[in-house]
Amino acid sequence: MAFTMRAVKVPPNSASLEEARHRVFDFFRQACRAIPSIMEIYNLDDVVTPSQLRSTIAKEIRKNQGVTNPKVIDMLLFKGMEELGNITEHAKQRHHVIGQYVVGQKGLVQDMEKDQGSSDFLKKFYTSNYS
Amino acid sequence: MASSLAGSALSFATPVKAVKTNSISFTSARKGNAFLRLQPVPMRFAVCCAAKKETVEKVCDIVKKQLAVPEGTEVSGASKFSDLGADSLDTVEIVMGLEEEFHISVEESSAQSIATVEDAAALIDKLVEQKSAEAKSS
Repeated sequence: MAFTMRAVKVPPNSASLEEARHRVFDFFRQACRAIPSIMEIYNLDDVVTPSQLRSTIAKEIRKNQGVTNPKVIDMLLFKGMEELGNITEHAKQRHHVIGQYVVGQKGLVQDMEKDQGSSDFLKKFYTSNYS
Repeated sequence: MASSLAGSALSFATPVKAVKTNSISFTSARKGNAFLRLQPVPMRFAVCCAAKKETVEKVCDIVKKQLAVPEGTEVSGASKFSDLGADSLDTVEIVMGLEEEFHISVEESSAQSIATVEDAAALIDKLVEQKSAEAKSS
């Protein structure tokens, strides 16, 4: 029920880049305020600190630093809100959270930079060559 | 005879109680006045002096850790976040770190006006003071 209710509420599109940027900071603030409860839900006190989680979230947001289209930013924010909602509503297991946001930066998650200019051929080439 | 003796005993007892209650109220009033007069003045001065230096130093430590500032760089009250290499997301991250450290909640409008370490320390002092005032009133 909570999931279907949440799916209905989609915010309107940003009218300008400045508004989209504002919403990104609001989302970051909301995610940071949820960190203590996330650490309590998944019992992460012995594997990570709130400061490290905050840095991981900031890094994820900074991956899309070059995006300037407000519509793309809105879509990315929607995905971010969905991910945050999944985590806070306990739709993930502990090892998912640890694998993606705690040890992911040490080689578990593919950390290729988003390259806007490459062709699909090169992207697939890099992906298949990843070890 | 017996009834007159009982009446006199009762009449003697009540003024003694009245005198006792009066003396108790006087002493409690004096204590209350002394407490109210002496209590706030040294606390205010002590809290103001200690909090400012301590707050600025704590903020500097948090900023250094957050931005991974090179060893030789000095972070003081007048340092600007942008001069230390922070972008807007870094500034928001620093503010969230300060919120966690000092157990306060910074409003969005207040957070936007923070540009230097001194601004952050002043805002933190103000919010901590508000929080303690609310605790006292409640």
